[in-house]
Amino acid sequence: MSEATSESVQQSNGRVETSHHPETDPKRRDKNYYGIPPIKRAHWTWQVPLYFWLGGIGAGTQLFATVAQLLGHKDEALTRVSRYTVLLTMLLSPVLLIWDLGRPERFYNMLRILKLRSPMSTQSWSLFTFGNLGGLIAARQAAEDGLLFGDNVLSRLVIRLIPARLLTVLAMPVGLFVGFNTGNLVSATSVPIWARNWMLMGPTFLASGVSTALSWLSLVLHLGHWGEEKTLRVLHRAEKAVILIEGALIGASLIRMSRWSKPLFSKEVAPLFVGGTLIAGIAAPFALLAGKESRSKSMLASVLALAGGLAFRFAIIAAGRKSADDPEAYFTFASGESAPQPEDKI
Amino acid sequence: MATGFLTDTTVCIGCKACEVACKQWNQIPSDGFGLTGNSYDNTGHLSGTTWRHVAFIENPKKRRLTGDVDLVALAEDVTEPLPGGAELDALGRWAFMSDVCKHCVAAPCQQACPTGAIIRNEFDNVYIQPDVCNGCGYCVPACPYGVISQVPHDGRAFKCTLCYDRQKDGMEPACAKACPTDSIQFGDVEDLKRRAEERVRELHEKGYTQAYVWGTPEVGGTGGIGGNHSKFILMDEPETYNLPRHPFLPQEKVKGGVIASAVAATVLGAVVALAFRD
Repeated sequence: MSEATSESVQQSNGRVETSHHPETDPKRRDKNYYGIPPIKRAHWTWQVPLYFWLGGIGAGTQLFATVAQLLGHKDEALTRVSRYTVLLTMLLSPVLLIWDLGRPERFYNMLRILKLRSPMSTQSWSLFTFGNLGGLIAARQAAEDGLLFGDNVLSRLVIRLIPARLLTVLAMPVGLFVGFNTGNLVSATSVPIWARNWMLMGPTFLASGVSTALSWLSLVLHLGHWGEEKTLRVLHRAEKAVILIEGALIGASLIRMSRWSKPLFSKEVAPLFVGGTLIAGIAAPFALLAGKESRSKSMLASVLALAGGLAFRFAIIAAGRKSADDPEAYFTFASGESAPQPEDKI
Repeated sequence: MATGFLTDTTVCIGCKACEVACKQWNQIPSDGFGLTGNSYDNTGHLSGTTWRHVAFIENPKKRRLTGDVDLVALAEDVTEPLPGGAELDALGRWAFMSDVCKHCVAAPCQQACPTGAIIRNEFDNVYIQPDVCNGCGYCVPACPYGVISQVPHDGRAFKCTLCYDRQKDGMEPACAKACPTDSIQFGDVEDLKRRAEERVRELHEKGYTQAYVWGTPEVGGTGGIGGNHSKFILMDEPETYNLPRHPFLPQEKVKGGVIASAVAATVLGAVVALAFRD
């Protein structure tokens, strides 16, 4: 129940003016129909936020690996880890998304048409493309690593036929699209807290994705004692900068969401958002990374940033659920001034 | 020709014949036997298994009864001044409204649908092809009126088809056929628009100046939706009927969101590249 509602109910307690329900009291400031939500929330359960997180890691990993390649930074361990990471995230993502469907056996209908205005459609296509490119690149890596049953005709053919470096460059924009489109996917709905933040949702999801990806790479390289010293140094610097950008974008999003950001600070979501995302996922890793560099501190920061990114996705989905269920939020949002209009520039 | 509904709430008597006719004709599964405890409306809202829903709105008035009160006139909500300065409207009134899919001119659900299951058919109605829908559920939060939802145990999304099958056979939709007071009218959208304006004018002349048409590009069909093929004559604020005043087309901002994200991607790429400089 919204604040205004509970207030008017309290006011009517003690001096009952009508035998009718307080919910239909005409003196109430917010009008609604017995508090029944005027819009329906998304059904998304844990699979979707988990996919958002994995997709972000895949996107950010591809970005880092491609930039390293373009700048001529050679580190075999980094190349190997990033290629297998993209493969792993792109293997798990479709499984989660198909699991989430009401009719999983019809998943292929997603590739029946392409609709540029439907983020769900462009998401399906970009995931399909990125997954296939990532798969080809990882196959080449596997052949080079002798994982395709050693040195045989197949692995020699794979190495000869797959131009991994070219595909890496091609996969980067598609991967980035997968990363930010998860944000646009939630904002292209009627849910106030998401729709209000249409401009910053994509950038925030992408920044969080890149931050988690850098943390993942740094964590794995540290764990295996792999990677050159320079790679780890670059990752450390980049992590620090991207966490700062992510924090700034989340702050800007909160300002943009204004009164509709309330669900993020509700009893149910605040532990995930304030505790999990802002404190454990952004402030703590930044503090750890800002100090003197050490392996254990860097690993702890990576784990925290990864968990924070996951908490952020769950918090956004949970807040959207609460926002859709609140008639007061939707009606104030769709009252004329606040909802995005076609003629708006921003 | 575009077809649609005109739902005139001023003559709705809350009989729910439309709900029953819709359920029967379209063979929609039951919603269970829950009681809301709010009113005689135990359905609550539109959903994948409720394509017509009658809202029961109780409007208590709180003016004190003074003078010589004519209880019959009171119950009938007569607005003329009475002899002896008797105050009326003390009982308030009940309002009923048979809600349905709005069949938007630019439908958010159709734009959201990634499979192309949601189409516009030859009657210009928004129609979900049940053999294509794979139950992704993305149309559900896209709808600004909360019309669509996924049906449990089926997985797919459903909503009013505007009785596509009946229209093909030249019949009017089941709800409009069953409505005993012609609160639900079916026909050509342009024709219904004229009828709605005429009816509102008539109501205004009778002293009900609060009557208006909801579902036009000015109110109820705003923000890029371009109006609705299902129009309503309302007597109260839209929110009272659980309808938004100025909904918007969520997909209007997809392009802007992608451009903003592309800028962010470039910045992040540059930041990562700068980190490589020793």
